[in-house]
Amino acid sequence: MQKKTRKERLIWLDIMITLLTLELMSYFYYGIRSVFLAGICVVTGFVAELVSLRFMKRSFTADDLTCTSDALILALMFPAVMDYHISVIAVLFAILVAKNLFGGRLNMIFSPAAAAFVFVLTSWDGQLLQYTEPHVKTGLFETPTNLVRSASYVFDHTGTFDHSDFEVLLGNFSGPAGAVSILLLVVAAIVLMMRRSISAGAFLGTIFGTGLFAVVTPMVSSRADSLKYSLVTNMVLFSAIYIVSDLRIAPKRDYYAFFYGLFIGVISYVLVLTGAKENAIVIVSVLFTPIALGFRHLEKKIDTAEQEHSEVDAGEAAVTAAGEEAASHE
Amino acid sequence: MFLINDLIALLAANLILSQALGTSTIFIAAGSRKNLVATAGVITIFTTVGSAAAYLIDLVLQPSISDLRLLFYTMVIGVLYAALLVAVYKFGSRWFEELRRYIHVSAFNCAVMGTLFTINKRASMDGTVFNLGGYVTAGFEAGIGFIIAALILTAAYRKLNSSKVPASFRGFPAMLVYLGIISMAVYSLK
Amino acid sequence: MNDRKKAMFGGVLGDNIVLSGLMVISPVIICGDTLKNAVALIYAFSAITFLSVLISSFVPKKLPYTVKVIIYALISALVYIPVKLAAQEFYPESIERIGIYYPLLAVNSLIVFQTEAKFFRMKKTDMIISLISCIVGFDIVMLITGFLRELFAYGTINSRIVDVNTLIGGLSQPFGGFIFLGLMCGVYRFIRGLVSNNNNVRSDADVSDK
Repeated sequence: MQKKTRKERLIWLDIMITLLTLELMSYFYYGIRSVFLAGICVVTGFVAELVSLRFMKRSFTADDLTCTSDALILALMFPAVMDYHISVIAVLFAILVAKNLFGGRLNMIFSPAAAAFVFVLTSWDGQLLQYTEPHVKTGLFETPTNLVRSASYVFDHTGTFDHSDFEVLLGNFSGPAGAVSILLLVVAAIVLMMRRSISAGAFLGTIFGTGLFAVVTPMVSSRADSLKYSLVTNMVLFSAIYIVSDLRIAPKRDYYAFFYGLFIGVISYVLVLTGAKENAIVIVSVLFTPIALGFRHLEKKIDTAEQEHSEVDAGEAAVTAAGEEAASHE
Repeated sequence: MFLINDLIALLAANLILSQALGTSTIFIAAGSRKNLVATAGVITIFTTVGSAAAYLIDLVLQPSISDLRLLFYTMVIGVLYAALLVAVYKFGSRWFEELRRYIHVSAFNCAVMGTLFTINKRASMDGTVFNLGGYVTAGFEAGIGFIIAALILTAAYRKLNSSKVPASFRGFPAMLVYLGIISMAVYSLK
Repeated sequence: MNDRKKAMFGGVLGDNIVLSGLMVISPVIICGDTLKNAVALIYAFSAITFLSVLISSFVPKKLPYTVKVIIYALISALVYIPVKLAAQEFYPESIERIGIYYPLLAVNSLIVFQTEAKFFRMKKTDMIISLISCIVGFDIVMLITGFLRELFAYGTINSRIVDVNTLIGGLSQPFGGFIFLGLMCGVYRFIRGLVSNNNNVRSDADVSDK
């Protein structure tokens, strides 16, 4: 039997709280610039949603605030010093093209943040994959200098990860603003799963798939290190929570969602291992959209069949009860 | 593991996702399971058999008269088109009325013609492909690629034609954008 | 009279072959990334389609459908040869860039299928006008696509640099073509819907005035 679905606005609230804590951490490392970037993304997302709902002749409700969480997810996937123009274009792409063009939150096909990230990756990969080191604070309108490649890139290409476990947990290594604070992400995952604000099946499937292959075909000589670093690099944890386990996209039933997440985890790990593809999980999650849609279609058919079956059973039970009553009267 | 890489390579070389060939036909194919099986099957026959014939043409055709290539390819597809219709009429007359529209749609199609020219271009750059086996394999792979792209579109077909999609974008415009985003993801893997 | 006018001139706006009929979209998506490519394609498409359909109109109507389709395709393949030779004089670089999409223009569905479905059911003069309007419709779409994609992808107009703040590299790629054309189709439908609503309101008003 299907679990009762929570209202979208409550799920949005949970996700926003976790995203804001990640943003706070980002502010700690990168200063006011990252907050300003997030602010621009959120405002752009909100305005874009408002305008497009007006065009679609729909009223803006609290459930439509999911546009702000999508925009914030995207902002946290960017470097803290991302160009503002590119960020605005990316958010507009996410909300207008990847989401509302297909009917908005009532007819979700792609994860807006994932689709927009891939769009930025294919159009501005130079700006997207260059970061400032943690604790380097750039002014609001200052041109960033001394940009470096992410720790994930270095790990993918050289197999080395020169950061202590403590640094890893606190996110003290170069990478996307919100995707490096591992401890916060783990806590967020647990909280969101417990509150059923993300798909537990999809999340666990992704982690299991990545972890299993990281142990079976390790990227480095030590299997333990391979497991550890595969999960903390390449936005695996962040994407597993906010993109793969998005309740609007992932299959509803946990066992389907588990396999959906498992295959995404496995394939993205293989792409990182064989092709050193940074942040492959985001790309793979977009490619797996038809599979997610297929699962949802299957679930709908199962639900319809179950409903028809229960109606038939109820009808038969009513007939049997009426028959027994008639017999007892006689 | 390398199967995954092969699959990615197949997607990257996909007719529709990377070359936009046969896009209009795929919209017909995605409409229903029957359309999908019939259209994809017929296109695969055309690309596979057509590529074998294209090999023979390319073997004989001199570079100085390479502009005649289109004419010879058209003749080959024309013969194949007529032959397929006759074969279906003779051996499957029960399904002839149903199948013939798929044959009409698939014959002189960008997907089929484009495959022949693509294989020719590939063979001129890479001599190892310039043999009958190479041509037929490439033609067959193109057909498989069409099937994969059609399946990708079929998965989202209902959603793309849903009443929740704004009327201006419902149907073909939404399908184009959907294919574009999938194509974008495939491109980013290259 | 109005229906006749619609049938003849619909190809430009009302029933555009690319935006409405979704025909000949591969060259628009793949090759419509610069104005130069667009102009080369416009020349090829216009010349091949016009000449092929005109010549094909003399094919006897009594022949079986399949035979006629094959003959139309062969005629356009023959027309392609002199058109390409002429294009090599005017657009040698574009032909190389356009590659396989040049010969593919010769087997576009407008020539192969629309001739039977639409053009050959009209009178000769009407057919020529309708054909020209369809060709002009394609040309307009090609020009707009080439212009906008070149401007925002490369920051140039006809290879001349223009001051564009942020370039979107993805627009020059096939996926950019897909998304751009999809958006263009949607906007076209929206405008067409507005125009037809306006016309309905005006005609209703005319009726009520009486």
